[in-house]
Amino acid sequence: MRLKTRVSAYTLAIAMISSSGAFAQKAEVLHWWTSAGESASVKVFADQYTKAGGTWVDNAIAGGANARAAGINRIVGGNPPAMMQFNTGKQFDELVSNDLVRDVESKAKAGKWREIMPKPIVDATVRDGKFYAVPINIHGQNWMFYNIKLFKDAGVEPPKTFPELIAAGEKLKATGVIPLALGGQPNWEHNLFRAVLVGNGGADLFRKVYGARDQKAAKSPEFKEATELFGKMRALVDPGSPGRNWNDAAALVITNKAAMHFNGDWAKGEFTAAGQAAGKEYGCTIVGKEPRLVIGGDVFVFPVTKDKDQLAAQDKLADVLLDPTTQLEFNKKKGSIPVRLDVDVSSMDVCAQKSAAVLKDPANQVEAMELLSTPNFSGAMQDAVTQFWNNPSMSADAFVEKVVSAMQSAS
Amino acid sequence: MAIVSIPTAVATSERPVKNRRINRTRLPAALALLPTALIVLVVYIGCMLWTVRLSFTSSTLLPKLDWVGFAQYSRLFMNDRFLVSAENILIFGVLFISGCLILGFMLAVFIDQNVRAEGVFRTIFLYPYAMSFVVTGVAWQWFLNPGLGLQKLVRDMGFENFTFDWLVNQQMAIYTIVIAGLWHGAGLTMAILLAGLRGVDSELWKAARIDGIPTWRVYLSIVLPLLRPMVVTATVLLATGVVKLYDLVVAMTLGGPGIATEVPAKFVMDHLFERNNIALGTAAATVMLITVVAILAPWIYAKYVRPQGRPA
Amino acid sequence: MSTAIPQGRRPRHLTIGRIGVYAFLITAALFFMLPLWIMLVTSLKPMDEIRLGNILALPVNLTFEAWTKAWSSACTGLECNGISVGFWNSVRILIPSVILSITAGAINGYALSLWRVRGANVIFGILLLGAFIPYQVFLYPLVRIFSTTGIYNSLLCIIIVHVIFGLPTMTLLFRNYYAGLPIELFKAARIDGGGFWTIFFRVMLPMSTPIIVVAAILQVTGIWNDFIFGLTFAGRENLPMTVQLNNIVHSTQGERAYNVDMAATMLAALVPLVVYFVSGRWFVRGIAAGAVKG
Repeated sequence: MRLKTRVSAYTLAIAMISSSGAFAQKAEVLHWWTSAGESASVKVFADQYTKAGGTWVDNAIAGGANARAAGINRIVGGNPPAMMQFNTGKQFDELVSNDLVRDVESKAKAGKWREIMPKPIVDATVRDGKFYAVPINIHGQNWMFYNIKLFKDAGVEPPKTFPELIAAGEKLKATGVIPLALGGQPNWEHNLFRAVLVGNGGADLFRKVYGARDQKAAKSPEFKEATELFGKMRALVDPGSPGRNWNDAAALVITNKAAMHFNGDWAKGEFTAAGQAAGKEYGCTIVGKEPRLVIGGDVFVFPVTKDKDQLAAQDKLADVLLDPTTQLEFNKKKGSIPVRLDVDVSSMDVCAQKSAAVLKDPANQVEAMELLSTPNFSGAMQDAVTQFWNNPSMSADAFVEKVVSAMQSAS
Repeated sequence: MAIVSIPTAVATSERPVKNRRINRTRLPAALALLPTALIVLVVYIGCMLWTVRLSFTSSTLLPKLDWVGFAQYSRLFMNDRFLVSAENILIFGVLFISGCLILGFMLAVFIDQNVRAEGVFRTIFLYPYAMSFVVTGVAWQWFLNPGLGLQKLVRDMGFENFTFDWLVNQQMAIYTIVIAGLWHGAGLTMAILLAGLRGVDSELWKAARIDGIPTWRVYLSIVLPLLRPMVVTATVLLATGVVKLYDLVVAMTLGGPGIATEVPAKFVMDHLFERNNIALGTAAATVMLITVVAILAPWIYAKYVRPQGRPA
Repeated sequence: MSTAIPQGRRPRHLTIGRIGVYAFLITAALFFMLPLWIMLVTSLKPMDEIRLGNILALPVNLTFEAWTKAWSSACTGLECNGISVGFWNSVRILIPSVILSITAGAINGYALSLWRVRGANVIFGILLLGAFIPYQVFLYPLVRIFSTTGIYNSLLCIIIVHVIFGLPTMTLLFRNYYAGLPIELFKAARIDGGGFWTIFFRVMLPMSTPIIVVAAILQVTGIWNDFIFGLTFAGRENLPMTVQLNNIVHSTQGERAYNVDMAATMLAALVPLVVYFVSGRWFVRGIAAGAVKG
């Protein structure tokens, strides 16, 4: 069996070398962008790579966890793709520490990545002084999307802070609409909680809780205040929320049934698909004392390979991904904003322009949970948040206790 | 047993064969079983041991072979979610298996009444088994959603006070999983039991009719006991489904509201793949495995291992 | 099927009892059809109508677009060719996997039930336990095993995996089926000097049609609908249709087209459904003949 395999691998290698003229720098890319909008955005990269003389071999697997598991299995199985997607943050830490992915420091130096990208994104991608991934976009996670017509009908201004939001919600409720459309799945409930925490508690508290796992921060009055505000928002949600997909929640806003919806900027895709435009049918705003934007996004990593052709393909891919026009076109379709802040975004939609403007001030750049905490701690927090949200009788103190125990026990 | 005339006659007794010549030439049989023995050894036992070993490590994204003793297990048993999962699987398991058996039996009996379009009915009851739950789960979720489905429908008909909000109610949500589970699994149970019914000797029916025993009594007191082997088979198949219950929950509630419908297999999967916590995931898998062994081992032993050769 | 098997009770004229029978069956059928109805009407509506949320209502603007889209033009990544892409891959995985796993089950069942091999029942016991473990636990070690043997990510690899995980059920089915056959047949063949394989091919296999059909139906359903093994072991060139199906219906951050989701799911289920319908008569007979016993 062994021998046969070697022989076939050998012939395959010969075949690949002899055909490399025709299929120059064939690069298999593994990612989880599969919806129509996402597909259009990945096409931007693929087209640019083809223009640059490469061949993009697409391997899309829906569901981040599925895709990552498949990719990691292939990396440990010795048959890695040329390039693979991760979320910006700690998901690929162990691939770096086990020397399974290449560093792209030379590219980063040449392209001055440290100067053109926001510091949280740089920090999340650099390990031991070297870039180990190419960041490609910035997703803001704590946007509040609202139905402009419903706010106008109710004579209410879009809220600026969370206490205002709760007051506005009561008024909207009186007009017979659902004030807040929530996808009642644990991760969206958790996303809403983080929006409240960063908006009302501030960036430092957010970092202390998710990054440093500071138990004192979790027991602070600010944390409790945010928790209580979050708890009050239960009254703004319709009873059909639990289990609902976020797409169905966004649809409630689109069809004038609900007024507000918290989500990342990817949710624009659902509005776009329904033919609605930012600033026209729906608005987007950051709720909070300061306009702190929680940012994450996607990166591509390059699994280690000895194949010269693959190495060249990886180098070429890295160049293509960060080209300014490619960045602009990709992010327009993806709903995110370019990872390079030096790109002119005036041709993008209103929400994207708002994002870019807010991020000009480094004080507004807040690392997303994926950047601050391990997937395991994020998960433990999610379990705590979903229990609190779905159990109105649970006190804020009981929730704090759950958070503290998650801080202690999660690896 | 004699009155069961299944086409190929189980009626012949199954006494063990005491034939020396058979015993002497067992080599080809042993060779034929060799590949399976190897697979059992390498894949099944190997993977089980590997899983158990990993549960004593601190592995996160990639397995590593350090040793942390029972640390993961103490984490596991302090974890609300795992405890809720264990309770849920018990509720689901009991209701799902008994529900499928009762519903499956009733469907089989009614189909057995020489009805027209039997093939159509049977296919209707069986089709859910062929469908991926990722999307059929969405259909269930919509139907059970108070704002979209049954509750809205009945209220729109004028019954303003009608409430059916199990899906979004922490206490009741697990029962909606049972309902969807019944929908998915009852058809297969029906098929198996129907097959059993078809094997019942027609003489028995004649005799019962002459004696004037009511039909329902014949089914319950005479036919049902005859179906015991079928019931056991169906139960085994359903039980493997209970232990592996995952898709259904993910598609309908994602474990919510809160953690009200979490189940052990989802706990394992989330920790293995989503949360980069292989150690805790494998610890949970090990606990599941031990539980299954504890429940099944005596039965498997008595039924299959102890009686060497021809099984009873 | 309605004429296939005679049984004890003869149909009578339309009585209250008969009405009751049909009333029960039709009610049950309605319950079973409910999600299918929702899926069907949803698949025939444009998205604007779906967003309004009248899930049970008939489509106002009837359109079959979602069906053609699901089959041939829905995006599943860079390519937008619907679920049809993986169809032949699925078939290529399905046929050898079903044949091999049934063969393995038949040989095992035969050897276990009629030949007394020391330790064989212990192997069977462990195999049966294995049926209760979530597959996902096996993935990582199996990847390591296959990558050291060099067949990881190939058609052969995925077929072997399906055979391995089909073993418990298949062995159980055949073991109990053969155990239920009259032992005299086997004894006579032995006295005539038949060896292990001769008896298997000449005596046992010809009598196995019903149970083979049962096994085929179980395996066709399981293997056709498998997603996780195909994704992990088949390799990019051989990904089954369920991977495309998953790419269409399962998106974390992308917008969703429910009509296409529903159509794609129903399309993907057609192969097992056809198998059920066509082999319905043998399915029922087979299980009866198999006398699958605990």
